[in-house]
Amino acid sequence: MAIALERSAVGARRAKRHRLWQRVGHGLTYLGLFAALVFFLGPFFWIVTTSLKGNEDFFAFPPVWIPAEPSLKHYAALFTRSSGARYFMNSLVLSTLSMISALVVSLPTAYSIARWRFGGGLLSIFLLVLRMLPAIALIIPIYIVYKLLGITNNYLALVVIYTVLYIPFSVWLLVGFLRDFPVEIEEAAMIDGCSRLRALVQVVVPIIAPGMAVVALFSFIATWNEFLFAIVLTGIETKTMMVLVTSYTSGGTDMFYGEASASVVLGVLPAFAVAFMLQRYLVKGLSLGGTKG
Amino acid sequence: MRIPALGLKRKQWEPLAFASPSMALIAFVIVFPLAYSFYLSFQNYDLSIGPEYEFVGGKNYAEAIFRDERFLGSVWNTAVIIAPALVLELLLGLGIALLLSRVLRGRPIITALLVVPSMVSPVMAAMAWRMMYGVKYGAINNLGRQLGILDVYFDWFSSPTVSIIAVVLVDVWHNTPFMMLVLLAGLQSIPTELYEAAKADGASAWQRFWSITLPLLKFTMAVGVMIRLIDLTKLFGLIYVLTFGGPGGATETVAFTTFLMGFKDFRMSYAAALSYVIVGGVLVLTLVFMWIQRVREARAAA
Amino acid sequence: MRRIWSATSVAILLGGLVTIAWLSWPDRAPAARPYEGTTIRAVVNAEFVKYSLTLVEQDLYDKLGVKIETEVIPADAFVAKTLLEFNSGGSPWDLVMFGPSNMPDYGRHFEPLEPWIEKLKLDFAMDDIVPVFAKVMLRYQGKLVSMPYDGDIHIMFWNKPAFERPDNRAKFKAKYKYDLQPPKTWKQWDDAAEFFHGWGWDGSQQKLFGAGASYKPSGSGFSYHWWRSRYFSYGGNYFDANMKPLVNGPAGVRALEEMVKTMPFYPPGVLLFEAEEPKTMLIKGEVPLLYSWTSTGKRVGNPGESLIVGKAGFGLVPGADIDGKIINRPAITPGRGMAVSKYSKKKEATLKVLEFISNPDQSLKIVMDAKTIMDPWRVSHLRSEKFKKLFPDADKYLAAIEQSFPYLVPDPVIPAADEYQRKLSFEITEALAKRKAPKDALDSAAKEWDKITERRGPDKQKAAWGEKLAEMKALGIEYKPDWAAKAK
Repeated sequence: MAIALERSAVGARRAKRHRLWQRVGHGLTYLGLFAALVFFLGPFFWIVTTSLKGNEDFFAFPPVWIPAEPSLKHYAALFTRSSGARYFMNSLVLSTLSMISALVVSLPTAYSIARWRFGGGLLSIFLLVLRMLPAIALIIPIYIVYKLLGITNNYLALVVIYTVLYIPFSVWLLVGFLRDFPVEIEEAAMIDGCSRLRALVQVVVPIIAPGMAVVALFSFIATWNEFLFAIVLTGIETKTMMVLVTSYTSGGTDMFYGEASASVVLGVLPAFAVAFMLQRYLVKGLSLGGTKG
Repeated sequence: MRIPALGLKRKQWEPLAFASPSMALIAFVIVFPLAYSFYLSFQNYDLSIGPEYEFVGGKNYAEAIFRDERFLGSVWNTAVIIAPALVLELLLGLGIALLLSRVLRGRPIITALLVVPSMVSPVMAAMAWRMMYGVKYGAINNLGRQLGILDVYFDWFSSPTVSIIAVVLVDVWHNTPFMMLVLLAGLQSIPTELYEAAKADGASAWQRFWSITLPLLKFTMAVGVMIRLIDLTKLFGLIYVLTFGGPGGATETVAFTTFLMGFKDFRMSYAAALSYVIVGGVLVLTLVFMWIQRVREARAAA
Repeated sequence: MRRIWSATSVAILLGGLVTIAWLSWPDRAPAARPYEGTTIRAVVNAEFVKYSLTLVEQDLYDKLGVKIETEVIPADAFVAKTLLEFNSGGSPWDLVMFGPSNMPDYGRHFEPLEPWIEKLKLDFAMDDIVPVFAKVMLRYQGKLVSMPYDGDIHIMFWNKPAFERPDNRAKFKAKYKYDLQPPKTWKQWDDAAEFFHGWGWDGSQQKLFGAGASYKPSGSGFSYHWWRSRYFSYGGNYFDANMKPLVNGPAGVRALEEMVKTMPFYPPGVLLFEAEEPKTMLIKGEVPLLYSWTSTGKRVGNPGESLIVGKAGFGLVPGADIDGKIINRPAITPGRGMAVSKYSKKKEATLKVLEFISNPDQSLKIVMDAKTIMDPWRVSHLRSEKFKKLFPDADKYLAAIEQSFPYLVPDPVIPAADEYQRKLSFEITEALAKRKAPKDALDSAAKEWDKITERRGPDKQKAAWGEKLAEMKALGIEYKPDWAAKAK
């Protein structure tokens, strides 16, 4: 009887220690994640507050981390003096067009591969090859040809390039979604008389909408962020936010700190939006055949 | 429905039709330019001189590999940036992924927040960090001086070594979340039963990590590292905005030097040759990497 | 009856209103706004140049009815992008800003002005242009193609209190055995930089710096501009008569070695400094010495940001002591000119605009404003009473500029000028960053220069350079191999 009591007492103590360790572990985990959040989000915090520093706060020491009188004057200057509005619109237009174009082109292609094994196993190889290609290898011949045709500084010409750059990833993602989709539903629709294309559009698309959303968001933000093609192939009418930021690198960022930080804030807005919209799919999207070859 | 002209049955032309828009675009935007660029790399097309050019054989390639110290220097710089960046991104990404996998409440939102740096453009990341690195008014120096760690202004680009560190830091900040995501996916695919069984057998957390997590994560890690490796060879926008290759040529990467050749010196043919040297290098790197993987897998299986 | 009355009164009222309106309607003055509704496109290489155009745009519109739409291409991409456009046979711009050193590469794309001066009876007040600027900013192959917009030269600026404080003077004399004064030779400059570095020479407890400079190799220079003044004062020149680069000779190596040795006395970040950063440090009282562009003077005198208004000195850039005589070689670089694109579809309007912004009054407005960074280029600018009263000692500032004119050293104004300068600047900064020894860096620069000459055609380059060599000789600038060792 005594031994039994001892045992349970020892067991209880062990259990308590175990729970303590668990708590400590939990605490450390959250601490670690907190540190990670500070590191990864800190710069954004600083840039936002800097863009709101109206007067001499930027130059103050001891440093002013949160301005006492936040002001939007840098954003105003960005939009009036530096044509920030136009660049923002250009980025928006280009990204939207590329998003739509990527979807329109990738969906049938993915369908072709999922349903009919178009191209055999070439897709993965092609994906890899395309990923290895540095944009610099493409920009030189494309620039020469575009100059010849006179289509630099042209939305559509740029969209064409961006679409192709995203075809591999979009197709790969959509193939994953389509493979999970049972053929029977399509067949049923086709038996009812619609062509394959109509079946695709009216039946399949609504169901793989999440996959298409991922493709759309990905193409949007990839175009928004794109730099090399943007600085070489855009002119005053089509310059994007990424190009705008380069005008603040000379003269030292001290002189134009307000507009520089404001343009960064505007330039990263889509990233925040996309990250939140893709929350659910972030890990799922990658695990869809991506990490398993 | 048959297309008599092409002699194809519906079953045969339909897949092609569906895939044709992307095939056409790929031909126009990738295949043709690559071929044209390859052709150009054997000429001496130099826009600073004029539109005429002539065939010069392998002269550009010879110059790139044997006579161009700036390009060779940039190859070295690229390697020096890639190595620490890869290691740090892997370790840090693994660490955070492990932490995240232990958390259930709020995981989606924390993940989404942590992922944002990977979703911004390298150009934006570089601009933000460039301002933070600012000698007199930058966040880092200000914080350092406020905390008393720094005495005078520290110049993050004062020497080649320090500027490489600065570049690596920005890249790690920018890309660790991506690595974290990849590893998180890998972690989630490990069946929990394995852990339960090991725990029942009395294995400690550390043992569980070494014998279950790591081995099963190896493939994912390899994929992540390879993707990052390839992406790092293309490093351009970050350099353009953060240092523009400086100080001197200390942070010029291969893509950056090639860009300067083509769009500052106008030596289009030479730049085309350089870009093929880069492609060749990346190809070799990838093949070596995959070969190493295969050897390790074979050894593990044996 | 009443209705008739009301109708009539309304009619009279209306009629009266119409008459009054018709009588007072503004005359369609035909001559006042001849180009009403025209917009021309300009391209410039920095935000402050765009800003400078906004200073005159209201008057421009009132007088001519023309609006200017300005595109800014950052300096790092400017030459490349604009030349690529021009070399492909066209350009989207009407009014083109450019660096005069690149005239050999740009000139053939500009519209010759003389026929238009005849046709439109334009007046550019040519006699009022300072001769040194007239020589480099106006002509291509003898034809007038552009007007100056910014007269860049280097002069020296110093913080007067730093040099006048008795305890500073005592300390300096004790250490260096001669009186502290604004440096006249490079040795004095280096001594001063060493002396002032690392403590509060303004009487405060702060750790201040020795001297300012711009060592980033961007745009088409910076670090090489700072090296050039030393190099030429030690007897150097760009090439010899056969296009062999001379930059890696003893004069060049000595100049670069001195710069490398004195690196510790410059502020952190100097390797990435472009034009404005050291100026900011000067006007905030953090460096006591700087030689840089004349626009620095305007910032010095701007009470909105400068802490040394009325407390700054202006003078000639230091030189080398050769056999007792001091040889100064301040740089004239890069400057800005404005030209009309040959491919423009609105040449007449653009020419009128060019005439307008170049006229003495409008250009004075531009060069007097501290935020434009544009510098005086007309005689009338330098003698303007308004300018002399712009800030305390502005007259001394303008005098220092004039004083420097006889000694100016230009860039190598030959085809591929931009590339020669960039490659040299790059190597100089490599040495300053201690990635290469000075001799190795300059040897690399010479090798790169040979490559450029080979690509552009050695004979063509030799011919172009021959002309420049003769011009420099006429100014008294010649290669002197023995000076490097002699200079004190």
